[in-house]
Amino acid sequence: MSSSENLPYLDPSEILLEGSAAQRFKSRSDAFWSGIRDAAGAPAVVLFSGMVGFGAMGRTNGIDGWFTALSSLLMFALPGQVVLLEMVITGSSVLAIALAVTLTSTRFVTMTVTLFPQLHEKDRNPSLYAHVHLLAMTAWAVSMKEFASIESKHRLSYFIGLGLLCWLISLPGTILGYFLAGLVPAAVTLGLVFINPLFFLLTFTEVKPWVNRIAIALGCVLGPIFTVLDRDTSLLTTGLIAGTVAYLVDRKLLRKKAGVIG
Amino acid sequence: MMNASLQGWGLWVALAGACLGTYVCRAVGVLLSGRINQDSEIFRWLAAVTYAMVATLTVRLILLPVGLLATVPMWIRILICVLSVGVMMSSPKRRLVPALLTGTLLLVSYGALS
Repeated sequence: MSSSENLPYLDPSEILLEGSAAQRFKSRSDAFWSGIRDAAGAPAVVLFSGMVGFGAMGRTNGIDGWFTALSSLLMFALPGQVVLLEMVITGSSVLAIALAVTLTSTRFVTMTVTLFPQLHEKDRNPSLYAHVHLLAMTAWAVSMKEFASIESKHRLSYFIGLGLLCWLISLPGTILGYFLAGLVPAAVTLGLVFINPLFFLLTFTEVKPWVNRIAIALGCVLGPIFTVLDRDTSLLTTGLIAGTVAYLVDRKLLRKKAGVIG
Repeated sequence: MMNASLQGWGLWVALAGACLGTYVCRAVGVLLSGRINQDSEIFRWLAAVTYAMVATLTVRLILLPVGLLATVPMWIRILICVLSVGVMMSSPKRRLVPALLTGTLLLVSYGALS
């Protein structure tokens, strides 16, 4: 990074991007395995422990094991799964459950819309309807950061490697948690439940564009207020309000000042 | 907890509905993504909305949790988050794994001692 000190008008992250974007990966399989390797670090640990925590939650509340495991495999969306479990435990109606879970999952619409346009033209075909199941918050956060330094033709392979490992470990994680619950001390379960939100909180410090930083800050402030008002719709309402305000602040104020946009 | 949990086939219909609702959101995203350019204004706006949603979900899991985490006093949860973010930002290269370990181990220690 020392060379960037001679170039005060350039953002160091941009120099890195220019240099490596040309050929980070040799081939699609190289990109795929690199995705697997990147997933095998913090993302897999976070997701695995989150799923272990979820399995333990199912068991300690007397929920069917198949039900708990299938939700990890077929939904693969931990926040939605937690909402599902909470509402099943408290005996909500089937319709209310389906609606609340779908509202929690609306973030997938915008997550997909912000990630997939970055793929190569050739990869933007109907096969994405299958690949999209591998998209979860962990893989999205990592991809949004890494795509900037990956050539577009190798982005899909990288994403599949990343998402596939995350998805594959979610089922064994849930099953392990289901059978471990009651065996490990409550303090350990506490740590497992906490690791997920902590991971997301930490990844926010790596977000560069100011428009997204403002959106995160506003979401953190408004989120609890809207959650208290109405838990089920709070994600959608906070997202729309905080996101729109951040976008407008960026467009009307920040973009006119040179050097502020990240 | 009252013994009111959903039983029998209602349980499986709820699961099917939850899976379907979640997949439909992903599929709608693919459908819309085909028409959106990553340099467009709508892309910038949607990215901001998504980050705000993810932030809401995160802060909700930390400040207003349901279940085990709710037994930990809020100031302890906030203090541990502040310390973890401090570890993360103590290096320009970002220390993700040490920060994760700090937060998790601090909370486990609190749970073990309380």
